[in-house]
Amino acid sequence: MNTIEEKLWNYIDGTCTPAEQEAIARLIEEDALYKQKYTELLELNQEFADMDLDEPSMAFSYNVMEAIRAEQLAPLKSTINKKIILGIAAFFVLSILILLGIILSSIKISGNLFSGLDLKLPSNVKLPSASSIFNSTLMKSFFVFDVILALFLTDSYLRRKKAAKEA
Amino acid sequence: MQSKLSDIELIEQTLAGNQFAYADLVKRHQRFVFTLAMRFAKGREDAEEIAQDCFVKAYRSLASFQGQSKFTTWLYSIVYTTAMTFLRKKRVDTDSIDDEGTFVQVESHESAYDTNNVENKSRSYYLNQAIEQLLPDDATIITLFYKGEQSLEEIAQTMGIETNTVKVKLFRARQRLKEKLERNLKHEVKELI
Repeated sequence: MNTIEEKLWNYIDGTCTPAEQEAIARLIEEDALYKQKYTELLELNQEFADMDLDEPSMAFSYNVMEAIRAEQLAPLKSTINKKIILGIAAFFVLSILILLGIILSSIKISGNLFSGLDLKLPSNVKLPSASSIFNSTLMKSFFVFDVILALFLTDSYLRRKKAAKEA
Repeated sequence: MQSKLSDIELIEQTLAGNQFAYADLVKRHQRFVFTLAMRFAKGREDAEEIAQDCFVKAYRSLASFQGQSKFTTWLYSIVYTTAMTFLRKKRVDTDSIDDEGTFVQVESHESAYDTNNVENKSRSYYLNQAIEQLLPDDATIITLFYKGEQSLEEIAQTMGIETNTVKVKLFRARQRLKEKLERNLKHEVKELI
C-alpha cells in the first residue's frame, strides 16, 4: 500500500491515473496532514530541480577533440608498416625459393627407387664455411643496410607519431 | 558561442566529416555528462576521464545512432555504462558499490575539513553535499530526472531497468536525499551551538 509521501510524489510527478489525481487533489484540500506534506514536498521538488551542475575544466572539449583526432590517425601507421613487412617477407621467400631451385636442379638421383635414394651434392658445388660467410664484404654490407633501414623506419614512425599529437 | 542547430543536425554534420559540429555537441552536453560522471567518480580528475571517454565512445559509434530515442538518452546510457565499468576497474566490487558506508566516508572526510559555518553556505551547497553522500544509482536517477529532462521511461532505457523499478528507485532516492539533507543541516546547526 502506498504511503502518503509516495502518493504525493506520484501526484507531483503526474504519474498517477486521472482518478487517483482527483482523489489526491481532494485529500490535499481537505486533510491538513496531506496539505502540510504536499507543501513540504513541493518545496523539496523545486530545490532538487534548482540543483547546480558541475563544470568540467576549460580544456575539456579541446581534450575530447584531441583524443578523437589522435585515434583517427592511428590506422595510417598500420597500412604503411604492413607493406614494408610484406615486401621484406617476399624478398626472403623469393631468395630461399631460388636457392632451393638451384640446389634441386644440380642433384643427381641414381639407382632403384625401392633400394633407397643416393643423394649427393654435385662435385662442383662447395658449401662455404660459416666464418667466411660472416666475414665476407657482402654480409657486412647486408648488415649495414639492415641497420640503416631500421633507423629510417624508426625515424618515420616517430615523425608520424609526433605529427598525430600535434594535429 | 554554441551552435543553435539541433542535436540531430549536428550529428548529421559530424557524420558528413565536420568535426567542429561534434565539438559543439560536446560543449552543449559536457556539463551534464561531467555531473553524471561525478556521481560515480567522487573526484574531478576521474570524472573528467570518464566524461572524455564517453564522448570519444559516442563519436566512434555515432553512425549507429538511429535517432529512435533522444540523443541525450543514448549519450547518457553510454555515460552510465562507462561509469559502471570505471567503478569495476577501480576494484570497487558490487558489495562496496551498494554499501552506503563507502560514501559516508567521503562525507565525514569533507565535513572534517569544512571550516565554513552554516550562515556562509547556501542551501544548494547542502543539497550537493547530500547528493555526494548518496549511492551512485540514487544520485544518477535524481540527476537524470531533475536535470537531464528525462522521463521515467528514458531513465529506464539509460539504466537498462524496468520503468516501474525506476519509479520505486526514484521515490527511495528522494527519501534518502531528504533524510541526508535534513541530517546535514541539523549537524551544522549543532556545531554552531
